[in-house]
Amino acid sequence: MNKEHASQDRWLLGTVLGDIHFWIPLAVLLGGLVLLKWISR
Amino acid sequence: MTEAPTLINEATPPSIAPKRLKSLQRVGVLCGFAAGAWLGAAEAPTKLVSIGVSPLVISFMMVLGVFLARWSVPALLQGMSQVREDVRQAPHLMLWGILAGCLWAVANTLTIFAIRNIGLSIAFPLWNSNSLLGIFWGFVLFNELRNAGRLRWLGVLGGAALMFVGGVLLAAASSVQAQGHAMLGIAGALGAGVLWGTMYIPYRKAYLTGMSPLSFVTFFAVGELGMISALAIVYTGGIHSLWQQLVLSQGVLFWLVLGGVMWVIGDIFQQYAAKYIGISRGIPLSNTNQLWGLLWGILVFAELRGASRTVHFEVIGGSVLMALGAGAVAVSSATEKEHSRWKDAAQRETQRYNLDQDYVLARMAGEGGARQKRTWLDWLLAGVSTAVIVAFALTAEIPKSEPHWGAMAALLAAMLVLLAISGIALWRATKFS
Repeated sequence: MNKEHASQDRWLLGTVLGDIHFWIPLAVLLGGLVLLKWISR
Repeated sequence: MTEAPTLINEATPPSIAPKRLKSLQRVGVLCGFAAGAWLGAAEAPTKLVSIGVSPLVISFMMVLGVFLARWSVPALLQGMSQVREDVRQAPHLMLWGILAGCLWAVANTLTIFAIRNIGLSIAFPLWNSNSLLGIFWGFVLFNELRNAGRLRWLGVLGGAALMFVGGVLLAAASSVQAQGHAMLGIAGALGAGVLWGTMYIPYRKAYLTGMSPLSFVTFFAVGELGMISALAIVYTGGIHSLWQQLVLSQGVLFWLVLGGVMWVIGDIFQQYAAKYIGISRGIPLSNTNQLWGLLWGILVFAELRGASRTVHFEVIGGSVLMALGAGAVAVSSATEKEHSRWKDAAQRETQRYNLDQDYVLARMAGEGGARQKRTWLDWLLAGVSTAVIVAFALTAEIPKSEPHWGAMAALLAAMLVLLAISGIALWRATKFS
């Protein structure tokens, strides 16, 4: 199913967003920005 | 003369021949040590000039140097045609690269606030705990250390733990007085460690799918420069204010750019280490940068002149522990059984992103590198980057501090020897694949 999905998605954006691994660093990045805002007060 | 085959033809998917696997891992370990030396030395130019300059200006200018080097070094070593070819094979890695660059920029900015609040001595080992998180992600997401056996587990985890304790001692010796809120500083340093430790997920993602580190870093640089520019503008109070601070610091900008360029050389080796020995081994090895940073501090900038016996004990003890830890990690390279589990993770990526299996396997085996000829675009990128760096050099002021030139020459010679040995080994084994 992944393979079929990927073949229809030229830049694989949808496939990246469907990859649970992608959300881990993205969540950490957002957390980092919030932390930065907090410690730079 | 034909090259010896490096893939054993078995029922699908093929494995990398044991001899080839060992050769790639030797190269990966060498790259890890070279990364430590160059990443550690990258702080030296900033030490010459950082007094009185805004931390965000320091970070912004270093990233500008990083950006210039991240586009020109790959252009010279493999050509941008190779980058295009890699993007054609795995376009999704552009997004992963940009995300990794954003993580790096936020982490680096957090360290500035951490140093300001708790001093380098406490902050450094806290954020260098990123290697422990790297080991965790490598195990959970990419099958690293699976089927590795107790001895290798002990080597990697025990080695990383020894390096952490060594790092604490070294950092205590290079103490800088804390001036702010301890709680905020500790949160900043730990946060930076979490961001850097998680940044290795995109690294491993890219290298399991076979991408050349030289291609990956070009996208990484876009995320890095974009994010640091946004942060610098926001935290200095706008573009006009940032520009004013840059103009005021004009005489020292070259030294910061130079630090960025040196950092890129270390980081490229770190990326190759992550590719060929995985993040669970590559990251602890490149964390020997702390040892090199201290060597520069003591020998070149005489930072421990007149220090107590306790401080000298901390330096010697910390260095020995860090060297022992790095040695334990270096000799715990992946077995064939473990490597077959890496291949399972690579197969998962191949299926998910509909990649060419032959491309992925060949690149995992370090094949298919640097086959493209240089074009006018490569020479243009290298020329423009060189011109920008020369322009900064022409406006540079000679630093007022007086480093120990003999020690500096010796350390530079050691770094160049490591660069030559690792670079030649990497070229012979992989053609920078």
